[in-house]
Amino acid sequence: MVVFLRDLLRYRAEFRIGLVLVAVVLLLSVLASFSPYPPDSVYVVPPDLPPSLTYWFGTTSRGQDVFWQLSFAIRNTLLFGGTVALVSRLVALAVGLVSGYKGGWIDRALMSVNDTFIVIPLLPVLVLFYFVMRDRISWLMLALIMACFGWAYDARLIRSVVMSLRQREFTQTSLFSGMSTRQVLTDEHLPYVVPILFSTTMNNMVWSIGLEVTLAVLGFTDINIPTIGGMIYWANQHTAMVAGIWWWIAFPTIAVIMAFIGLFLLAVSVNAHIDPRSRLWNVGEAS
Amino acid sequence: MNDLLLDVRDVSKTFVRGGLFSREEIVAVNKVSLQLAAGRPEILAIIGESGSGKTTLARMILNMVTPTSGRLLLDGTDLAAISGSAGRIAFMHKVQPIFQNPFESFNPLKRVERYLLMTRRRFAAAAGGSTAATAVDAALHKVGLSLKEVGGRYPHELSGGQLQRVAIARALLAEPKLIVADEPVSMIDASLRISIVNLFRTLRDELGISIIYITHDLATAYYISDRILIMQKGSVVESGDARAVLTAPRHPCTRQLREAALLPQIAGGGANASGTTQVI
Amino acid sequence: MHASVEQPHGEQDVQPLLVVRDLQAYYRTSHAGVRRAIRAVDGVSFAVRRGEIYGLAGESSSGKTTLIKSIAGAIKPPLEIVGGSMEFAFLPGYGGLHRAPPAQVERIRWRHLSYIMQGSMNVLNPVRRIRCSFTDFAYPHIGGSRQQFEQQVVAHLSRVRLDPSVLSAFPHELSGGMRQRAALALATICRPGFIIADEPTTALDVVVQKEVLGMIRGIQRETGSSVLFVTHDMGVHAHITDRLAIMYAGRLVEEAATAEIFRNPLHPYTQNLIASLPRIGEDAPRAGLGGAPPNLADPPSGCRFHPRCPLAREICSREVPVMREAGAGHRVACFAVNGDDGA
Ligand SMILES: Nc1ncnc2c1ncn2[C@@H]1O[C@H](COP(=O)(O)OP(=O)(O)O)[C@@H](O)[C@H]1O
Ligand code: SF4
Ligand SMILES: [Mg+2]
Repeated sequence: MVVFLRDLLRYRAEFRIGLVLVAVVLLLSVLASFSPYPPDSVYVVPPDLPPSLTYWFGTTSRGQDVFWQLSFAIRNTLLFGGTVALVSRLVALAVGLVSGYKGGWIDRALMSVNDTFIVIPLLPVLVLFYFVMRDRISWLMLALIMACFGWAYDARLIRSVVMSLRQREFTQTSLFSGMSTRQVLTDEHLPYVVPILFSTTMNNMVWSIGLEVTLAVLGFTDINIPTIGGMIYWANQHTAMVAGIWWWIAFPTIAVIMAFIGLFLLAVSVNAHIDPRSRLWNVGEAS
Repeated sequence: MNDLLLDVRDVSKTFVRGGLFSREEIVAVNKVSLQLAAGRPEILAIIGESGSGKTTLARMILNMVTPTSGRLLLDGTDLAAISGSAGRIAFMHKVQPIFQNPFESFNPLKRVERYLLMTRRRFAAAAGGSTAATAVDAALHKVGLSLKEVGGRYPHELSGGQLQRVAIARALLAEPKLIVADEPVSMIDASLRISIVNLFRTLRDELGISIIYITHDLATAYYISDRILIMQKGSVVESGDARAVLTAPRHPCTRQLREAALLPQIAGGGANASGTTQVI
Repeated sequence: MHASVEQPHGEQDVQPLLVVRDLQAYYRTSHAGVRRAIRAVDGVSFAVRRGEIYGLAGESSSGKTTLIKSIAGAIKPPLEIVGGSMEFAFLPGYGGLHRAPPAQVERIRWRHLSYIMQGSMNVLNPVRRIRCSFTDFAYPHIGGSRQQFEQQVVAHLSRVRLDPSVLSAFPHELSGGMRQRAALALATICRPGFIIADEPTTALDVVVQKEVLGMIRGIQRETGSSVLFVTHDMGVHAHITDRLAIMYAGRLVEEAATAEIFRNPLHPYTQNLIASLPRIGEDAPRAGLGGAPPNLADPPSGCRFHPRCPLAREICSREVPVMREAGAGHRVACFAVNGDDGA
């Protein structure tokens, strides 16, 4: 893993750029802990001030400092994306490993569940949940629903990798050395799956954050918890664009785009790196 | 009952390819029988073109593939009846595989001694009381290596010939009665090939292990095996004493293989002699 | 330190098609700050004549593929040409494809120089039909109308006994043997003067292998091309090559007519290699070579074979033996054969 990251840093410019972007966004979210104002109080600063030395990113029409509001928002948004990614990765990993390794009816059963989740369209389901549960739909519940929909595709990916690993001779050597199925999966196959987990985590976060922002902008989420989408929702409510309060929309948008591009670049570079064809190119081919 | 080490009775394997409508059945192995006697170790070569079913047969003997029909008995135990981890361990204690590509036989991300130690630990119940490291070292010595040379190394740090020896040492640690070697030297260089082949002979003569040696190289099969089985399209077309079959092949398929084999010798006045540049 | 390369053959008045002089090609890597050079090809000289199949044998990692990559101009980091030259008769004055201007190389590829590689997937684009591979590579050199070209391709395919229908197939739809024959047709349709073949039949079945080798020989005779044929399989060399060079750890150790190598090997490594080959009908036990092939990042000093050589003497670990004529057209790099003044 260390070697893997070092090679990435050395050979891939996209990885370095992505890392810088994600680091900036992370730094901003960490700053939330040092905010002088609680996230949900309004009219703590004079409203509608443009960016200045006192208020770096200006203030909103609700009397909040955009900078500190943004750091709360980005923290919550990343946390949301991270939760979705974590939960869905665990499911994808378990399903992918077992399905790919065991094959047979276990594989068929798991994959039919998997396909069901792939074909159900997510957005209508979420809107449906919103109309049924209204205000009771919490942040965590939304994350869990999305996690339910975020694992299926990647489980298939992991399954196909494990299926091909299973065909390789070293798997047989492991079995004939007396290893149990669990040992083969965790000791022999997992190291090949970890880079995939890493890259799909990034993709998954881009996906879930994008969806959350969309839902929030439309007002389908708990708007009292500041997120990037929530900020844009409030700005729209106060017709910020028309009123010329551009900074209220511009900074959250820039922040989320930075997060998107950063995560995307990380995913792309890791992907390119684990693709055996391009790896041969870089690290040298076996004779 | 137990006078046969391996008893393969009329096994067939059919693979089904394609979807619902275009089902295509491929008969990989068709009613093959073969026997190995217990207590009389021998090297049995199985020869055939690729796709003739050699590997499928080997995988059935190793219980990696279940036959569509027929039975396989190892030391009197029906392979179909093996279940549970204890049964599997007992089975692997008797049969061990050696694979074609030495670089693929070990996980490239792991050190090779891991497999040696693991094998020793899993099959130690039957083995003597020495410590794992000394047992591993002893097994490596049998193949002309030592733990000092191999310890702490990753597969890519060893040559193909060394890795294939390590693979054999690992198989030996389980103290098997039968080794199934599927094209074990086809990816090994000519200069190292013969030493691996010689090693099989030593295993037979000194450790009393029977070996099923799968290959398409007629010359090494002739050199090392006692008995030969020629396969074509899933069936055995000729079998018998290795020297007899190869010096006087009867079946047309054997003859074709015999003729196609490019032997490392210059046939006087062959293709080469007529080349334009034989300026000497 | 290296003697100047004499033309390895005296009586030929025509200029050889390719002359490689003292070629050094290293892989330079830096690993955790430690710079390493893997000296995969280290001082190799030979010449390929017109109309011959020149064989190159050696175990894996002895540098065969690296040598071929260098000659074909496929040099990208970490591979570097450190010294020497490779002069083609049809590209004089540059000392190697890698030094010639790209436009010039473009004109030469396929027309004068083509490749048949192991697995053949490298040449046949896996996501395009075979027909497209032919139009991509060969059409620019052959020209004429599309229809004429297609006719020519079909006629050429019949030479390697392929049906015209393979043109509309994707590479993965063909069997290994058919694919290799398609690659062979592609490599020869422009009647190139020089063909590089790297283990072209290693992945094939014995029966198919013999067939493909026969086709390579047939087409080579017909077009009078030269072929540089690389494989570790001595049986294949015995069957197809005219002259044969043996490579060990990045250097040539012996070169002679193929029959001569098999009948009268002189270098201790070659002798051992030939003697270790089992033959049908001979029952004598054969001994392998002891020891392991050297690590090219830190090769043995002097003669690279000395740690495994039964004839090694004191000078062998100190000095590098050079290739010397030991008989007509038979060159060997060994102190035991050439005498101690061989340096
Ligand atoms: N891309 C690479 N980077 C570093 N070392 C390499 C690379 N490719 C080959 N080598 C090394 O160069 C040496 C010669 O390899 P190669 O030319 O492929 O030999 P052969 O074709 O005879 O098997 C080997 O030690 C091999 O490990
Ligand atoms: S030069 Fe010396 S070490 Fe090298 S092959 Fe000849 S005798 Fe052996
Ligand atoms: Mg090679």
